[in-house]
Amino acid sequence: MEQQVCHVTEDEKDILQEIMNIAFGKAAADLAEVINIFVVLNVPRIQVLKGAELSGYLREEISDFSDLSIIEQNFRGKFRGSAFLVFPSGAGKELVAMLDADHEETFESGTIDLLEKESLMEVGNILIGACVGKMSELLGDVVTYSPPKVVVENHPNEIIPNNLFNPEYTAIVMKTLFQFDDRNISGFLFLVTTHDSVAWLQQSLARFLEQYE
Amino acid sequence: MSELSQLFDTVNIGLVILDRDLKVKYWNRWMEYHSGIAAERIIGASLFAHFPSLNTRKFLRNCKSVLTFGNFSFFSQKLHHYLFPFRSDSSFESRFEFMQQSCALGPLRDESNTITALYLTVQDVTELASYEHRLLEMNMRDGLTGVYNRRFLEKRLAEEFDRHVRYARNFSVIMFDIDFFKKVNDTHGHQCGDFILKGVSGKIAAMIRKTDFLARYGGEEFCCLLPETDIAAATVLAERFRQTIAGMVHCYQKTEIIVTISLGVSGLSGQFPSSDVLLKRADDALYAAKGSGRNRVVALS
Repeated sequence: MEQQVCHVTEDEKDILQEIMNIAFGKAAADLAEVINIFVVLNVPRIQVLKGAELSGYLREEISDFSDLSIIEQNFRGKFRGSAFLVFPSGAGKELVAMLDADHEETFESGTIDLLEKESLMEVGNILIGACVGKMSELLGDVVTYSPPKVVVENHPNEIIPNNLFNPEYTAIVMKTLFQFDDRNISGFLFLVTTHDSVAWLQQSLARFLEQYE
Repeated sequence: MSELSQLFDTVNIGLVILDRDLKVKYWNRWMEYHSGIAAERIIGASLFAHFPSLNTRKFLRNCKSVLTFGNFSFFSQKLHHYLFPFRSDSSFESRFEFMQQSCALGPLRDESNTITALYLTVQDVTELASYEHRLLEMNMRDGLTGVYNRRFLEKRLAEEFDRHVRYARNFSVIMFDIDFFKKVNDTHGHQCGDFILKGVSGKIAAMIRKTDFLARYGGEEFCCLLPETDIAAATVLAERFRQTIAGMVHCYQKTEIIVTISLGVSGLSGQFPSSDVLLKRADDALYAAKGSGRNRVVALS
């Protein structure tokens, strides 16, 4: 954590993007094959930001949504950071239908919200786990995860706190648009690496490239 | 290893290891104790052979995602209540038939980082869930009378109103209050007033259907929501309320007190833009009942 400024080169960004492409492709294939979740993950975009710029950037990126739900999950390993899965308002209902919950029992008042929240959480957990897991696998790491947290139906300006990150630190932000194939649901996945994993990430990118040289 | 296995057998948490075919590889003492199934009996068997209720799409999906992606899965108590149907550990727990559990699944890997198994942890959160229930109850009930409070009434009224408008169903509201209640307080004291409030609300709560809602709206004012009831039926019911309360003798410290109530009734009949207006109409009706001499029912459609 000694170096306050990390310089990430264009080449490194390109490799990272390539790794994300491969990882997300594998994640999507496995999701379809193993648990019948058909998701299309678009080409990711990578930004290197100062911690201080992060909140503004995220708000700007999701400003098209009037209300949204965010699932947050931290991943811890040498590759470490936070994943944010952003769904537009109403996605919870669609996800309940997509997961085709086995719940035959009737729900008392208030439980439907709970079911939506749980579905958001489950889908978030699975999607984040698949994407981050495949990425860290390619980077030669194994990560663990915090339990997912979910903030439901909030305005974009209220949902993202200002002090998301140490303002001095470097954050690499990877953004992907995803859609579920058979459903009208799309959203964004943001992966934000922490400052102290940037150096490790750069080494891993170099190692990754060596395989092909 | 021996220290670890002692630890695994003494921690107050259920620990299970399942292989890739979801056969049990490990079953700690906590699981033995609560399930009544000895480790040697279940090890090697499919988990579903002993717990068929776990064989759901959701559980399988989560196991597969742990085994494929190496992520973690969480089964919170809030929605699932429990994974394993175990009896509650406490003899004094009466709210839940089964132990409330918070469960997690995660991957276990070999030296080459290949996922070979998954673990399952089971935490008893019955006490916590019980506290939460109590807090939720407190949050929607009036402390004195035990009927619903105003906050709950307003939430419920809006929900019921929307539903009944959407499906063009009958829906009525009765507002009532105790006549000359201030006089009761002034003459007999506030403790007596509280006693009367409890007596009146308790009596009326016993007269309504399970699907109706009785709430304390304010001081001595109550509101009753009547789903699937038209204004005529609601007016008949209000009249029964009136007669019952008028015929009721409250004995407070050897003093016999009789109170009456005035009631206003309104019902959904298409022209109400919002639940507030429906409530306002019942309140206007109540005001009219008061103005025309009290101890009576006025309906305004």
